Amino acid sequence: MPLVRRPSPPVEPAAVPPVLGQGTSEQRWAAVRAAAERTDGVSLLASALQGESDARVREAIFTGFARIGTPQSAAALVPYLRSDDAGLRTGAVDALRAMPDAVRAHLHTLLADPDPDVRLLSCELTRGLPDGEANRLLCDLLERETEKNVCAAALEVLAELGKPEALPALGRCAERFASDAFIAFAIKVATDRIGPS
Amino acid sequence: MNEPGTVSDEELQKICDFLYRRTGMLFSLSKRYYVQRRIAERMSHLRIGSFATYFAYLRGDADGEIEKFINAFTVNETYFYREEHQLRCLSSDLLNERVRARTKGEALRIWSVPCATGEEPYSIALWLLENWPEVDVQDIEIVGSDIDTQCLAAAMEGEFGERALMRLSPHLIEKYFVRIGNDRWRIVPDLRRSVQFTQANLMDRQETRRHGAFDVVFCRNVLIYFDDASRRTAAENLYESLLPGGFICLGHTESMSRISPLFEVRRFSDAIVYQRPYVGANG
Repeated sequence: MPLVRRPSPPVEPAAVPPVLGQGTSEQRWAAVRAAAERTDGVSLLASALQGESDARVREAIFTGFARIGTPQSAAALVPYLRSDDAGLRTGAVDALRAMPDAVRAHLHTLLADPDPDVRLLSCELTRGLPDGEANRLLCDLLERETEKNVCAAALEVLAELGKPEALPALGRCAERFASDAFIAFAIKVATDRIGPS
Repeated sequence: MNEPGTVSDEELQKICDFLYRRTGMLFSLSKRYYVQRRIAERMSHLRIGSFATYFAYLRGDADGEIEKFINAFTVNETYFYREEHQLRCLSSDLLNERVRARTKGEALRIWSVPCATGEEPYSIALWLLENWPEVDVQDIEIVGSDIDTQCLAAAMEGEFGERALMRLSPHLIEKYFVRIGNDRWRIVPDLRRSVQFTQANLMDRQETRRHGAFDVVFCRNVLIYFDDASRRTAAENLYESLLPGGFICLGHTESMSRISPLFEVRRFSDAIVYQRPYVGANG
């Protein structure tokens, strides 16, 4: 004893700051992490995400957006909900879910998007909202939704955080999808979990 | 007139946002009592009667108030040899793997963050002295860091109550501590010198980078206090604080897999830990 015979010297910051979108994945990672701390971080990250293919660097970009957590950073991610690249789509959903306050302003529009895949992914994003607000948005969606997979996604969330006020909307949805065994089952699960009003 | 520290929902939200931006710790309105009590304590200590005055004082960081305010919110209850299975994993698997990965003669670096009042980093030192055959051959650098400066001061003092020592055998207490009073023990100077203490905020990338890269990081039971965005940021700061192939140990209720895909899961006989891959970004 003691264990330390030769403590490490203090670490000096890098002399040359990394440049976004350039160099090795290590350098691009460092650049996007530094960009997330800047006031113009959203536009820098948005530009970096467009050309980035490395999964770890993308992850750092998504985290940067989530940490900034403004409606602008959420807006920069929304287009990726339509991406054909599953990695980008999942990354965008995870980042948006991590910034519930910022995504709030977009949810009304997203849940009415013409693309059913966007509506489906957006159901998942309501989980971060206060229960009452998520309940209202998902009930509105259930009243008009024609795609059963989107309804199923909404029902899954409502089964976890639905309120008794959702029960009438669930009932009407059950009538519209009366011939669909899976939706009937999902509605029963949600109704049982929410309990009587 | 309201009690000192009584705040409106809007004021509470403002101060919670302030704390969140500084530390990543997230307190919602449902934690009103907990937050309000700490505000009241600070206001009472400073003899400030209105929240607006206190908030201005806090934002201006008058007399280092931000640090004192943050200190009031940290949870520091812990004890020696907590989650002993991870210490077993450290000496039976992790360090041996790191020795093989390192150039001969390089010090092995272990980071305990947050370290609270020092029980964890001292436990690591004590455990290695008792259980790792390589301890006399390898250079081992142990750093304990915390955001709470009062905790760090206590850690450097190295004095502990009987409750903190409850998991240690009488033999270990006799060997590594000196009784200094009723229910008070002080760690022996050699063990005290085995740990270096520093201040670090896991959400502050500049601060974490300043500490250099480690072979093993113990980061237990702190990420549970963060929201998703802060957890992801902290995970990336920790990723940068690990050498390629380095390990991170979380608390038993925590899972890095639910926070970030950056790490690989490693299952050892005594514990599940997370590893920074040898290849990939920043590595």
